[in-house]
Amino acid sequence: MTCQHCAKPASVHLTERRQGERREIHLCAACARKAGLALPDSPPNLALDAVVQDLIVANVGELVGELAQIVCPGCGMKYMEFRASGRFGCPDDYRVFAVGLHGILTRYHGASRHVGKSPRPRTRAGDRLRLRAQLKAAVAREDYEEAARLRDQLKAEELHA
Amino acid sequence: MTLDDLTKSSGEWLKGTGPESDIVMCSRIRLARNLADFPFTNRASRAEKAEIEAHATSAFAAAKLDLDYIDVNALSPLDRQFLVERQIISRELSSSEGPRGVALSSHENVAVMVNEEDHLRVQYMLSGFRLAEVWDAVNKIDDLLEEQLAFAYSPQLGYLTACPTNVGTGIRVGVLLHLPGLVQNKQIDKVFRALQKINLAVRGLYGEGSQASGDFYQISNQQTLGKSETELIRILTDVVPQVLHYERNARNTLLTERREHLHDQVSRAYGVLKTAQRISSEETMLLLSSVRMGINLGLIDDLSISVVNELFIQTQPAFLQKLGGKELGVEERNIARATYLRTRLSNGRQAPRHER
Repeated sequence: MTCQHCAKPASVHLTERRQGERREIHLCAACARKAGLALPDSPPNLALDAVVQDLIVANVGELVGELAQIVCPGCGMKYMEFRASGRFGCPDDYRVFAVGLHGILTRYHGASRHVGKSPRPRTRAGDRLRLRAQLKAAVAREDYEEAARLRDQLKAEELHA
Repeated sequence: MTLDDLTKSSGEWLKGTGPESDIVMCSRIRLARNLADFPFTNRASRAEKAEIEAHATSAFAAAKLDLDYIDVNALSPLDRQFLVERQIISRELSSSEGPRGVALSSHENVAVMVNEEDHLRVQYMLSGFRLAEVWDAVNKIDDLLEEQLAFAYSPQLGYLTACPTNVGTGIRVGVLLHLPGLVQNKQIDKVFRALQKINLAVRGLYGEGSQASGDFYQISNQQTLGKSETELIRILTDVVPQVLHYERNARNTLLTERREHLHDQVSRAYGVLKTAQRISSEETMLLLSSVRMGINLGLIDDLSISVVNELFIQTQPAFLQKLGGKELGVEERNIARATYLRTRLSNGRQAPRHER
């Protein structure tokens, strides 16, 4: 069976009844989509971005005003940017925007606490990366005392490496 | 390994071996991981992405994972499309910008994408229904990488990912199922709805749905937070056998009640694929699906399942163009596709030899 609009094989087959008359329609997937016909054998559309955005809008409610003021000191992400894209800018955003997160996580995952694998103790290479992250965060929040301590620790680690 | 070498072989996951491989094409698990001291990919500068890539590639080497790194940023659009067709990289990694790539094992079981939505997307695939084995393998790779890299992790929220829908375990557990029986008896929608109710996602072979993707459907978890990796895997290992049961019932009904119709459909599909002079990708997928079911039901006995599995991938546009060594328009591809099908289905019905 070929599509009535183009020569491609038809994958959508419909029977229409109009004033007692039966009419068969055979279309390929592309032409059916153009005609606005839902494909019976296609799985539900998984527009994940839209799902996330809807969740964000539905679950932060009156917190929006408060959240809109927050900017992540590490990556410069604004809450409204997260709301528009559904993506965070850096791992620290989970802490920075924590206020608006609980509802979203609970709605999507049915949970708000991690269960499962956790990182094992790492070798020194991993420690140095972690220290560098902490140092960067300390500088970002202008905690220079902590930054100096971390810098010295990092130097010592790098000497050992 | 070069991309041209890849055209001469195919991934282990297409071999058609392993439990339930008449319906379960492959089992796959991916883990989303991010380096703790960098912004997520969408917020990272070009220089930061290059740094992330350097950390990742040295970790692959130090962990002795024996992976070949393919610099996706240096590839032509055709080569990137070729990797998407092979299920090695995502469309997102193919179409994004800046330093990025994929580390691949020799039989394509392991594919670690670098600088996709998350810094690392660690994927492991095996043919057949073998999620426990896949988890053991991907978990071990993750352990080895974790010895080299500090991943973003919080005790409360688990592994931190760019999108909160992946946070926690960062795991996506999936199986790729061939369900022509349920498509033909129109029960497939019911199955989808039942799966959705228990929070499982259904997508087509390349993300899209419909028969255009050869009656292949991927089923995977959506929840990643609040359940452990093994619990999430168990949901799939509990549910998939039920879907297999429905599919086998549908096939048996077709076989007993409409045997001649089915045999005719399968034979015609095989005949067209063996003799057509020009054929579209959509029609190819549709007919290959019939032939695949025909082999599994004993209606075709002179063709191996692995050849049909490979043809689903090797009749895609980029593969044909790689094989031809040049870009081809739609009509040229339809001719090249028919020529390739005739060759594979008439002469030596074996897979191309695996030379590496």
